[in-house]
Amino acid sequence: MRSRRRRFEIGCRIAAFAVLGWLIGSSLMPRAQLESERASSRDIGVRLARWTRLPASVALHADLKTTPDAWISDWLGALRRTGHPVTWSGTPPAVAIATDALSDPAGGLRIDIAAPSGSVVTVRDGASVIDTVRVASLGATVTAAIAVDSIVGEVNGARFTAAVPDPARLRPVLVVGEAAWEGKFVARALEERGWHVDARFAVAPRVDVTQGAAAPLDTSRVSAVIAIDTTIGLLGAAALERFVREGGGLVLVGSAASGPAVASLTAGRVGARTRPAVLPPDTIGLGATGFYPVRALRPTATALDRRGGSIAIAARRVGAGRVVQVGYDDSWRWRMAGGPGSQAAHREWWSRVVGSVAYVPSLPSLPTVARTTTARGVGAPLAHLVERIGPSRTAPPAAAGWHLDQRMLMAVIMILLCLEWGSRRLRGLA
Amino acid sequence: MTAEFVFATAQYESGDWDSAPLLPANIIDTIARYTEIAVAPTGVVAALSDVRMLRYPLLYLTGHLPVRFSDAERANVRRFVDRGGLLFVDDHNHDVDGTFHKTATEEIARTVGPLARLPNDHPLYSAFFKFDGPPTTSHELNGWGDNLVHDHLLAVMHGNRIGVLYSNKDYSSEWNYHPDTKRFMSVDNTRFAVNLVVYALTA
Repeated sequence: MRSRRRRFEIGCRIAAFAVLGWLIGSSLMPRAQLESERASSRDIGVRLARWTRLPASVALHADLKTTPDAWISDWLGALRRTGHPVTWSGTPPAVAIATDALSDPAGGLRIDIAAPSGSVVTVRDGASVIDTVRVASLGATVTAAIAVDSIVGEVNGARFTAAVPDPARLRPVLVVGEAAWEGKFVARALEERGWHVDARFAVAPRVDVTQGAAAPLDTSRVSAVIAIDTTIGLLGAAALERFVREGGGLVLVGSAASGPAVASLTAGRVGARTRPAVLPPDTIGLGATGFYPVRALRPTATALDRRGGSIAIAARRVGAGRVVQVGYDDSWRWRMAGGPGSQAAHREWWSRVVGSVAYVPSLPSLPTVARTTTARGVGAPLAHLVERIGPSRTAPPAAAGWHLDQRMLMAVIMILLCLEWGSRRLRGLA
Repeated sequence: MTAEFVFATAQYESGDWDSAPLLPANIIDTIARYTEIAVAPTGVVAALSDVRMLRYPLLYLTGHLPVRFSDAERANVRRFVDRGGLLFVDDHNHDVDGTFHKTATEEIARTVGPLARLPNDHPLYSAFFKFDGPPTTSHELNGWGDNLVHDHLLAVMHGNRIGVLYSNKDYSSEWNYHPDTKRFMSVDNTRFAVNLVVYALTA
């Protein structure tokens, strides 16, 4: 019969070897469930360094109320590539910003913003705040004459950034028509606004007054053609259509849209010219003396301006190019005989019309995120986050049960073996 | 309101603005004869004191008497040139010592700026017919006026274009006849008017 002391010694030895066996077994067999680490929008920035030193088996999860800065998304993406299960959850606002150079010789840029309706977005560049806008219908647009560094939008703590685009490379505008006031003043207004204008005015049979090089009609040489009247047919229907389909802009003024050379390009049929019952007694505004209404609008065309129930301006896309049909055929009266500021208004108006159709060579195609990424951030931070670590997911469950430190277990083994050894020595055994 | 080119004679309060009554019809005939420019069959008179003078971007002004614009006339002429109009002023006296010349040039300088010689290779002289400079008129050496052949026109430039064109050549006398008379001429002496109108409509 073994003594109680002998049973204690055997018990200590068995327990020590059992713990040792468990340690060996747990090191050889993978754990059924992962350890995980969590962070919030507030502290994720400071946690990333520690997360980087964790074993790849540790799952990382971010609870996000706002979209993180681009560098955080990039860091999380890098952790994911090293083998960490990386997830995030939350409903940060979906925001985006994009910039485009205006087709305007004076430069400038258009800033398009997408954000939740009703939110207030502050738009700034590297120098100052450009504007603050309240978003309606998920979008807002801001224009700026000049911007430095990059464009940053801020809404509810989310920052989104777009690069300042290079100025649009505009080519000459060609004005074609009979020698008359409208063509002369359209050309002059555009020149005053900084456009390079070539012109061809028919004066007599086989006699044209030309300005600028008589370049072939090609998007590599001409941004847009402004047809003042049906003499546009002299350029040839096929050449005009090819020009527009390749991306060139075409402005059809007044009766110009009734010519057979542009029949396939018009936004609609040209109606009979309207004339006011009473002429303006003093100053003249745009359209005050009547216009050519656009009738039978094509399904692909859009009305841009209506006056008295008729369409005064309409536009359509043809291939890669755009066509604007302008019913006003004597805008020069507005410039010459309008009220104060009419000259500048005429200039701006024509520059906008031409800018809306002018061909601008596009940049080489880049992935959307790459194109909107700048040194200071990204244009669509939520999209950037999803691209880096995937869509929002629920947090992984925490590892079940408790977890013992292996050093503690080694100490337990040592204590058990020491107890057994001490007991045996006290009994006089070796 | 017509879309055609309308020949407009400037009416001013101080002088005999209508001293060449046959000229408009003659110039209209010339434009129709040589070009396809849509031109109104009759000219109009545009009072410089009335803001509606701005509806005629080419204005012809002549006379023998002193030219002194009223404040309204001066303001309208200034606005006319600023907005791109062309004022053609012809000295019906063809006399650099005459009252018209002295007062008109002074008034133009006060209103829109000083006149300067227009180079004889200016695009005006090749806008339609080719000229080596302003065509000489039969009136320059008729014993009246200064009896000089003026080899240059004067101009106030607005940007790179002519805002005011000033002549001492007395085109008002040279062109002041019934259009039918042209058939008796070996060379039409109104051809320079075509250049003037074409330049105004295209430059």
